[in-house]
Amino acid sequence: MSSRVLPVFDLLLPSNLEEAVGLLSQHGDQAAVMAGGTDLLVGMKVGMSPAFILSLADIQGLDYVAFDAKHGLRIGAMATLSQVVDSKVVNDKYHALWYSAFTNGTPQTRNAGTVVGNILRASPAGDCCCAALAHGGSVLLQGPAGKREVDLDEFWLDYRKTARKPDEVAVELKLKAPEHGYGSGFAALTRSYQDLAKINAAARVIMDGKVCRKVRLAMGAVAPITLRLKEAEKVLTGQEVTDQLLEQMAAAVRKEVKPIDDVRSTAEYRREVAGVLAKRVVQDAIKSVAGPCPYSCFMGA
Amino acid sequence: MKKRSISLTVNGTVHDLEVPVHRTLLQVLREDLDQVETKYGCGTGECGACTVLVDGEKAILGCLTLAASMDGKSITTVAGLEKDGQLHPVQEAFIEEHAIQCGYCTPGMVCKSVSILAKNPKPSEEEIRHNLEGNICRCTGYVKIVQAVQRASERI
Amino acid sequence: MSDFKVIGQRVPKVDARRKVTGHQEYADDLRMPGMLYGKIVRCMEYAHAKVTKLDLSQAAKAPGVVKVLGPKDVTQKGYNSGVLDLMVPEPVGQMLGDIEDQLVFTDHVKFQGDAIAGIIATSEEAAERAAELIQVEYEPLPVYLTAEEAKKPDAVQFTPLKPGNLAFALPIQMFPDGAAYAWGDSEAGFAEADLIVEETFTLPKVKQCQMEPHTYVARYGDGGRLNCWTSTQMPKCIHNKLARLFELPMSRVHVIQTTVGGGFGCRLGMIAEPQVCAMAMAVQGKPVKVSLLREEDWLGSESRHPGKYKMKIGFKKDGTPISMDAHWISEGGGYYTHASGVQFTLGAWLAGTYKWTNFRFKGDRYYTNTTPCGAYRGYGNPQNNFAMEQLIDRALNQLGIDKVEWRKKWHKTVGDDGWCMGVTYASCGLDECLDKGAKAIGWEDKIKKYAKQTGSKRRGVGVAVMTHTSGAMPMLLEHTTCTVKINEDATAELIFSCSDLGTGAHTSLQQIGAETLGFPLEDVHVRAQDSDISGFDIGAHASRTLYVGGSAVIEACEDAKRQILERAATALEANQDDLVMENKKVFVKGSPDKSIDVATICYQGVYNWVMPDTGNWIGIPGQIQGYSSYFAKHNSPPWSACFVEVEVDTETGQVKVLDCVAASDVGKAIHPPSVEGQVEGGIQQGFGQSCMEAMIYDEKGLCLNNTFADYRMFGPSDMPKITNILVEEHDPFGPYGAKSAGEGGQVAPTGAIANAIYNALGIQFTEGPITPERILKAIKEKGLQA
Repeated sequence: MSSRVLPVFDLLLPSNLEEAVGLLSQHGDQAAVMAGGTDLLVGMKVGMSPAFILSLADIQGLDYVAFDAKHGLRIGAMATLSQVVDSKVVNDKYHALWYSAFTNGTPQTRNAGTVVGNILRASPAGDCCCAALAHGGSVLLQGPAGKREVDLDEFWLDYRKTARKPDEVAVELKLKAPEHGYGSGFAALTRSYQDLAKINAAARVIMDGKVCRKVRLAMGAVAPITLRLKEAEKVLTGQEVTDQLLEQMAAAVRKEVKPIDDVRSTAEYRREVAGVLAKRVVQDAIKSVAGPCPYSCFMGA
Repeated sequence: MKKRSISLTVNGTVHDLEVPVHRTLLQVLREDLDQVETKYGCGTGECGACTVLVDGEKAILGCLTLAASMDGKSITTVAGLEKDGQLHPVQEAFIEEHAIQCGYCTPGMVCKSVSILAKNPKPSEEEIRHNLEGNICRCTGYVKIVQAVQRASERI
Repeated sequence: MSDFKVIGQRVPKVDARRKVTGHQEYADDLRMPGMLYGKIVRCMEYAHAKVTKLDLSQAAKAPGVVKVLGPKDVTQKGYNSGVLDLMVPEPVGQMLGDIEDQLVFTDHVKFQGDAIAGIIATSEEAAERAAELIQVEYEPLPVYLTAEEAKKPDAVQFTPLKPGNLAFALPIQMFPDGAAYAWGDSEAGFAEADLIVEETFTLPKVKQCQMEPHTYVARYGDGGRLNCWTSTQMPKCIHNKLARLFELPMSRVHVIQTTVGGGFGCRLGMIAEPQVCAMAMAVQGKPVKVSLLREEDWLGSESRHPGKYKMKIGFKKDGTPISMDAHWISEGGGYYTHASGVQFTLGAWLAGTYKWTNFRFKGDRYYTNTTPCGAYRGYGNPQNNFAMEQLIDRALNQLGIDKVEWRKKWHKTVGDDGWCMGVTYASCGLDECLDKGAKAIGWEDKIKKYAKQTGSKRRGVGVAVMTHTSGAMPMLLEHTTCTVKINEDATAELIFSCSDLGTGAHTSLQQIGAETLGFPLEDVHVRAQDSDISGFDIGAHASRTLYVGGSAVIEACEDAKRQILERAATALEANQDDLVMENKKVFVKGSPDKSIDVATICYQGVYNWVMPDTGNWIGIPGQIQGYSSYFAKHNSPPWSACFVEVEVDTETGQVKVLDCVAASDVGKAIHPPSVEGQVEGGIQQGFGQSCMEAMIYDEKGLCLNNTFADYRMFGPSDMPKITNILVEEHDPFGPYGAKSAGEGGQVAPTGAIANAIYNALGIQFTEGPITPERILKAIKEKGLQA
């Protein structure tokens, strides 16, 4: 293991998706799929040693961030975090996702790393995982039998484990189209400003005046996978959002999370701040229904 | 494939190389092309000492980039910023603001600063700091580095 | 004193252009014909174990491998990575009990990362791959992570020389008052006290995190010479130590200092020089490069000393600090290293800061199965500051005394004993630091404003002060040398061994040289890299480079200048006392037309011809060189005060630093931007130690965060705006009145940020780092008290 010398592997460079799927059918069990490589190559410097790397770099047309009002947002497998941060439409309509990409990693890793890669890595602390789960959506997979969509709610199976089969390529992430009264927010607590999250949270609300018609609340680094906090969502759904209600929701959040101790934080702390963070992202989401993105300070500066 | 033939432009010079696919851009720059101005600091993408520019403006990490994936790309290292003996405004500003101490982070820090100003020539202080994340300096507390980017911003 | 021409100017640093263009060469950038690559094989699985089997045969057969080395294939001599023994008189060294308990490769692993073997191959990659083929079997031993565990009677002994695994305690021969650094009677003092505050503080194990990983090249050849290229902070000490370790005369050891990519103490003494030189000696004639990986640099080079600090202070109602009693117990890691040095100086800084009526300090250091502890910026002072400054504030809150006023009244000053009794302070600008700093941060208003707060965000301000040292006379041999060679065109070369760790030391020394010679800055060059050329020095540490080196430069340049004036007097047929040197011209006072160029004097000294037409010699023969072998006469402590304002989110425990004012008395700021840079960088490290940084070990003694991903530091967006106030209180001993600026910058921020958090919450944190986890837990348990 060395942070300077990578283990030896065979590089597969398909030029289209069909070829990629074919190669994965052949080598899938021993292959790692690489988009930006920012996670994979670090993993390989600390112990991972796949026999093959299948790089998506030569497949044209996967680096899109596209939106239409009916189908929502589509992010291609090679679209970088920087592209998402630079996207006016994401900043405008998907505040939680925008902010999760904005605070994710560093400019260099955002220039190489992809949103879909973040989803596929299935880290419970993944910022984009958390935001995407709150927005709600699906991952489009392409395999030997064709394409299939897996709802994000079913995509992460366990720690670092996803519904993607070894012979499938994740082609795109789809997020649902905003409805009237749509707002979202994201927050993470970190040791230093730029850091992996100790805990992160995201909310998407659909408001009808002061009443929360629908809500999706997601939280990361409090369980082996990014969690939907469904009990907490129930507290808010259909109710007028008051400080008291938010406290009730926070209490529900603390019951729902199952955090652990690790090098970044403690289970006790995570449980304690889980409620606080949930309140804050719900408040941010509600604020963003009416106003511009609360995090737009760097856009078009 | 275990090796790939690539054409890589570094500071304007085209290199036709056959690189083992497991070699990083940082290894190829330092060991094969003797471009030792780009530094190894951590190898895992945290410190930014190996930052170089793609197409003169996009900052990437040499340590987390496979050289084999850089076919046809143009890379600028800190040594490529000086043109005909004339320093880049960012380089001048780093000298004038005394933003250099041990200097080990400097090649990456300068490349990063060039990329910040390429994206937004008039960044706010907050934006400069946000975008300097990913380049660790243990000497300066970042004070004079931020000032250097601001000074360069006035000249670009 | 304001008529300086070069000193005090914000000139570009000597190395700035090379560094900003990437042309500056660091050790890893060196390329040599036939170069081989060495890999130090380290035990990563255990923190304490015996190697029962080491099979290198598979590795030896791997492609590209030139040689493999086990513990028996290299010198069996022990060494100590620290070099204190070179700097203290022998009897003192014996009393301190310094030992040489390290081996090039060991079969008794004492911490994760201990070196067990070496591989030499034709490429780094080949060496790396071969290392994976080494077969090792271990017998695990019990792991001791705390002093309590290590000192148990049945504990495995790290060395027979230190029974009970007690590496160091203050020796009673030197500290007769119960093996404590003491004066007065601390117990009697407590009996008289109106208020006693007492606490045990826990200090974290923090890492220097220099950006350039330790890298070396060595070549044994050139007719039996051992050459070693290293970015050490102590080239001349390494020269001596390598000669001793490999039993060679010093003339057969050649140390070339490469650019130092950050020091902060991590390059004091030997780090992997013994291993790389042992490898080079095994493949004679071939250069061998060893570049540590970041993850092994983290474990295999030294850290700051962590520990428990019991402290008790007695005050009179009026604030008189009538008694101080402190006991520091450090968990020092697997080898002896700096056991004596840091454990003494921790108490020295405590002794030196305030006017304790009665004082007592004990310092112990135990062996533990962690990365050995060594030198890190401040050398005990930041640990001391975190505890002392917080405990004082606790008392002052109870006594109702203003924290700035108390510090002004009770800090030591001119005429008082410094950190070493008998060496009294010769200058002190701390009052001005406190006054200017308090004004800049708005101390009085903010103290009032933050006394009553509501809401979830709480703000606080804190102050801490510190004194440090400029060189460590009389504790260390404060000796350095400088030669100034004047070329025939009247340009000068300063030749010395003082390293520049990036601090701006060479720029400052160049300025001192130019000022003293009266030469323009661009005519003075620094040459400092080579043990064959430069004279003796003890290295860049103890904040000594500018202070001791600067004085040597002055002496050497004055020597050269005297020779120039002597020759001018002869040439001008004038009295030397009547001569003035300006703009590289010497003229007779009052008759500016009667002059000679310095260049002419220098030229004629070198090209001293007999003119064929007249048969006369032209000028006075001999190239002018000035020389100094300088021993420091004092330690001129610098002073500083740091003020910090924070905002604590009481719902998450997160701390945001809003403002920081550092006011530093450094005597004369020779190169002000370098001084500012030291202060600013010190703040980043001080804040980190107090609020964010710590090496974390699991119960097996394996480090969980030997990467920048898991060991976080204050980044660009975490750092506040910094107001940097330089107070230039002239010091009678310092070169042009200068005191040190290197280490001090880190010290007061550690205490100041802790005190700001205390002020914001009314809760004091005795365990560092003060993380949001600890803050939130304390708020929950104790409630907000502000």
